[in-house]
Amino acid sequence: MSIETLTLLFFGSLLVFLLLGLPLAFVLGGVSIVFLYFTWGIESFYMVASQMWGSMNSFTLVAIPLFVLMAMILEKTGVAQDLYRMMHLWWGGVRGGLAIGTVAICTIFAAMVGISGAAVVTMGTIALPAMLARGYDKRLAIGCISAGGGLGILIPPSVLMILYSLITGVSVGKLFAAGVIPGIMLAVLLGLYIYLRCRIQPELGPALPPEERGDWIEKLRALRAVILPMLIVAMVLGSILFGLATPTEAAAVGVLGSLASAALHRQLAWPMVSESLLRTLRLTGMIIWILFAAHAFSAAYQGMGAQSFIEGLMAHIPGGKWGTIIFIQIVLFLLGMVLDPVGIMLITLPVFLPVVTALGFDPIWFGIMFIINMEIGYQTPPFGFNLFYLKGIVPQGITMGDIYRSVIPYTLVMIFGLILVMIFPALATWLPSKVM
Amino acid sequence: QEKISWRVQSHWPSASSSYKDSLMRLKERVAACTNGRLVLEPFEAGALFPAKEIFPAVRRGVIQMGTISPAYLPETVTTAGIASGLPFAFRNVWEAAYFHKQLGFEDMIRAEVAKQGVYYSTDKVYPTEMVVKTPIQSLDDLRKQKIRSSGALQRFLTATGAAASYLPGPELYPALSTGVVTGAHWGAAQGANSMGLYEVAKHHVRPALNIAGTDAFIVNQKALDALPPELRKCLIDELDEQFWMRTNEYQFQERVTLAKAIKQHGVQINQLPQEVLDHMTKVAAQQWEEEGKRGPEARKALDMLKKFLTELGYLD
Amino acid sequence: MRAVTRANGWIGRAISPLLLAMFVLLLAEVFFRYIAGAPKVWTGELTQMLFGVYAVLAGGYIMARGGHVNVDILYSRFSPRTRAIVDLITSSLFFVFLGALVYFGSSLAWESIEFWERSQSAWNPPIWPVKLAIPVGAILLLLQGLVKFVQDLRIALGLPPVDLGIETVEPGADS
Ligand SMILES: NC(=[NH2+])NCCC[C@H](N)C(=O)O
Ligand code: NA
Ligand code: NA
Repeated sequence: MSIETLTLLFFGSLLVFLLLGLPLAFVLGGVSIVFLYFTWGIESFYMVASQMWGSMNSFTLVAIPLFVLMAMILEKTGVAQDLYRMMHLWWGGVRGGLAIGTVAICTIFAAMVGISGAAVVTMGTIALPAMLARGYDKRLAIGCISAGGGLGILIPPSVLMILYSLITGVSVGKLFAAGVIPGIMLAVLLGLYIYLRCRIQPELGPALPPEERGDWIEKLRALRAVILPMLIVAMVLGSILFGLATPTEAAAVGVLGSLASAALHRQLAWPMVSESLLRTLRLTGMIIWILFAAHAFSAAYQGMGAQSFIEGLMAHIPGGKWGTIIFIQIVLFLLGMVLDPVGIMLITLPVFLPVVTALGFDPIWFGIMFIINMEIGYQTPPFGFNLFYLKGIVPQGITMGDIYRSVIPYTLVMIFGLILVMIFPALATWLPSKVM
Repeated sequence: QEKISWRVQSHWPSASSSYKDSLMRLKERVAACTNGRLVLEPFEAGALFPAKEIFPAVRRGVIQMGTISPAYLPETVTTAGIASGLPFAFRNVWEAAYFHKQLGFEDMIRAEVAKQGVYYSTDKVYPTEMVVKTPIQSLDDLRKQKIRSSGALQRFLTATGAAASYLPGPELYPALSTGVVTGAHWGAAQGANSMGLYEVAKHHVRPALNIAGTDAFIVNQKALDALPPELRKCLIDELDEQFWMRTNEYQFQERVTLAKAIKQHGVQINQLPQEVLDHMTKVAAQQWEEEGKRGPEARKALDMLKKFLTELGYLD
Repeated sequence: MRAVTRANGWIGRAISPLLLAMFVLLLAEVFFRYIAGAPKVWTGELTQMLFGVYAVLAGGYIMARGGHVNVDILYSRFSPRTRAIVDLITSSLFFVFLGALVYFGSSLAWESIEFWERSQSAWNPPIWPVKLAIPVGAILLLLQGLVKFVQDLRIALGLPPVDLGIETVEPGADS
């Protein structure tokens, strides 16, 4: 069977079983096994156990449960609620203000972590209930968290950028620098979208009625709510910037900060901690089992000859340099819908990068577009980690369908950002040329 | 005529120079020698199996071939520790090559690995060198370093009084740039360059921490035996030739990369002062003895090594 | 069936505090390296080992709580009976995946136990217990999957499902 047919069947079965409601982890794992059986043989199932062992040893994953725990504690102790009350008092007059504020907090978060999931869980736990309670449209609220969380891999530090540099040999420092402006630009674009959308449809992100906005005394008093969160941010970011801790260790510093906040709120008690620990286990365990299976899935696809499929695709490239770049972005976008970004990088980069550089394009610029595309992939249905995180924490009554639909407009905004970087390469290349 | 295709899982990421220069080279040489009848299908690091799972996968015959570092070999291969590099033993690359090939060290490790049903062939011998943010000019400077290391070298560096800790690859660059660690080793010049380390650590330390056969090919013995004799001969011969060719070429590439780093990033060579050298050599010699305790084969290899180093005038 | 579910609930509660241990270890490493200037060889690796056990053993517990996410676009429109029937069919994928994981995970762990495998790092701890967590975690998940299979079978046949007593297991089973 040709790799083209196999690809179609492979992703086709993925889609069918997903729609039938089998949990993702088992769809990915089961489809991998069935296809490995027919293309390679039973002995290759060993690969699935091997990949699982590999994921258990992935250090970057350790940060995930820690950030989740931090979020759970902040939510349980009311620190988060206070923060959102403050935001509403101050920005109450701005329609969609809370959603814009959420994107802003995600941007700060992105500077602290190298993955996308951390901010999604934290904001999903803290910001989502706050927005829903104030009458925000659920799709507007969910989507801004998924999109904001994605900034984590574009604004340095970034685990995916490090992987990109390992596969391609491009300088990590330059990539980090190159991500800053597009990252901020995307955050601004997301905020702008929310602002405009809520201007047109005020019911999506209602402003606080003037009589509830409080007087100055109340506003100033509410400001105290930012002190603790700011302190945590300062601790986490400071520990990284001053060379105290690696990004993963900084996640532990974040937990420390949340425990300290709980203590200051006189809420530090074992039942609270133990319940947060259990919820953390459920959420991270769920995600990591998906990752286990996703890694097996990518490995199975590679074993079937994924790379020769990508090489084959390159033969159909439309004319011209720009045709190639656009074609590649479309392939990445499509793969992003069904594969884990790490798998996509392993499969496509060794094929794409030589082509891109041979055409005379800057690999740093290409890298930033690649990363933005992966960021989009984290939230495009059906397979996207940000979506699964959200599904794990949203209140009852919000379905996967809601989550899938919520990301559509935000995805369009991000594609717009991607096109801007494509048309104006200086957005990515200017900063690295200045600082290094 | 029948075409035989082998999956080869590499421990090199595709950006590493060895992926292209060692693995792809071998693939092309074997294809030429066999008229395209033996096809090596390379997979970059992590594609099918994580690095430490390559050996079990080859041993089981899930894949026919792989590349590894001897540090990933099971403990039952007692000479693996010597193959992956005793600190401060050889001073020149040719000495390590002579030890492997003429003195028969490679045959010893090959025999041990063969007991697992796997054929072992060293890709090349090459140095492992450190980069640091501030130069080491005294014993005190050494003790102030916080170095990212791993395995035997981590034990060694700790024993010298530096603070050596392990960080996974993805955390290395950020950690070095913010000063979580002040030094690191990742191969030598090419490795450091590929990880972007010269951007944030400008001092390249000489001499090498070790010089050793740190990259190797492994082949499932059954798969090898099942090859038609002429194909098998092609593969074995090419693997043999590969060692000399790559050991030499790698040295050249190290030079070129370091020269570039000096020019582009203002890197400086940090030659360790005599007091530091003496100290490190003394600590190293104690560590070698540990390797000897792993078994009779390791003991024999270590004695052979010490005799050789004495002949060279490095030990008395 | 109740025993399996209860065992998984118990394991969930037992392993969830492992995260606190990881937290303490990571902070300790920052302390040892930065304040004391003497990083320890064991902190990072021990954290990683705990993480592996933590993640793998959680599989069955999460299944018992219905926590493995799925795509519910069509699924939420099915009647409970249709759902049960569809689940019975799709569970074939679950069983081939878990079957492979149990068998090859055991084989991977067994090989490690045979040599009392160590990690080869500077600390060099035994790693076979962590590898052993793979088949153990897979078996726990597989058993919970069997429980669900029986439940679905009963629903499909129009019988009442067995009471697994999940409500009373713990506080905070809300999310
Ligand atoms: N395969 C991996 N190592 N993935 C790391 C990223 C995982 C996670 N979904 C995140 O970005 O939040
Ligand atoms: Na980031
Ligand atoms: Na996606």
